[in-house]
Amino acid sequence: MVDNNVGGSCSNYNENGGIIKEQDRLLPIANVGRIMKQILPQNAKISKESKETMQECVSEFISFVTSEASEKCRKERRKTVNGDDICWALATLGFDDYAEPMRRYLHRYRELEVDRTPNNNHNVQDRGN
Amino acid sequence: MVMVMAEEEENALSIEPEFPKSRVKKIMTLDEDVKRVSSEALFLVSKSTELFLQLLAEKSAEVAIEKKRKTVKLEHIRIAVKRNRPICDFLLDSLPMPTETVKSDKPVVVADRPKSVPVGTRRIDQIFRKSEAQAQVEAEVEAQVEAEVEAQIEAQVEAQLEDEIEVQVAAQASEPVPEPMEES
Repeated sequence: MVDNNVGGSCSNYNENGGIIKEQDRLLPIANVGRIMKQILPQNAKISKESKETMQECVSEFISFVTSEASEKCRKERRKTVNGDDICWALATLGFDDYAEPMRRYLHRYRELEVDRTPNNNHNVQDRGN
Repeated sequence: MVMVMAEEEENALSIEPEFPKSRVKKIMTLDEDVKRVSSEALFLVSKSTELFLQLLAEKSAEVAIEKKRKTVKLEHIRIAVKRNRPICDFLLDSLPMPTETVKSDKPVVVADRPKSVPVGTRRIDQIFRKSEAQAQVEAEVEAQVEAEVEAQIEAQVEAQLEDEIEVQVAAQASEPVPEPMEES
């Protein structure tokens, strides 16, 4: 397997000895930086190290929530992690504040999904309220 | 009125992803146990991650302001993490150690880490462990030195005491029995 180490990024090895490139396990720093900038006051600056640290933090968050949801699926002998599992994981891990916004996002997402792909496998027929 | 409000709410609820879906999915499936993920799950993870990042950024900025700094630094992030219970529980150990970032803004944390580290330990975690090990070794050496010094001092004191006792005993032994000789 050829390792294209683009841009001099560091690599990690996964459990099987396969190489995981930084760009595969971190969200793009540009996106992370942009979201941070939107939140911070106008004149605030962010050190490069902080942006990089935030990159790591969000990847940790993703892994943390996902593994909790995945564990639930495993116990219930299900193969696919679904939206409810994620909501459950968020609540279980103490992010109850996210539950309400997530429910609203999910509602909106399902509405849009129905419009886009009529043949999708989500049961979103009765969406009138 | 209701229509307008609903519209506003809808606009506020941007479904547009801030993060590339494929990348979020890659990170989710780094875990071998995670095989299949519904598109809803992917969407929710992406959105909640966005919220999380916003929250942490906001809290870190608050700390920076408290410290009268314009630039958000690692130390501010650390304090923000410590102050938030659920975040602290899963994230604190993953942050780089303060001693690892001696020079401000030097990208020590990412660039200087060893390149081949099992993903399970998380690279930042590895630095934390390394410092711990170093600290342990230092502590052991210190303890050893202390013990040696103490032993030496003890030996010296004992020897001194012995000497003193000997002298006393000798003095007593050679002390003349009080005789009237001296008075006249």
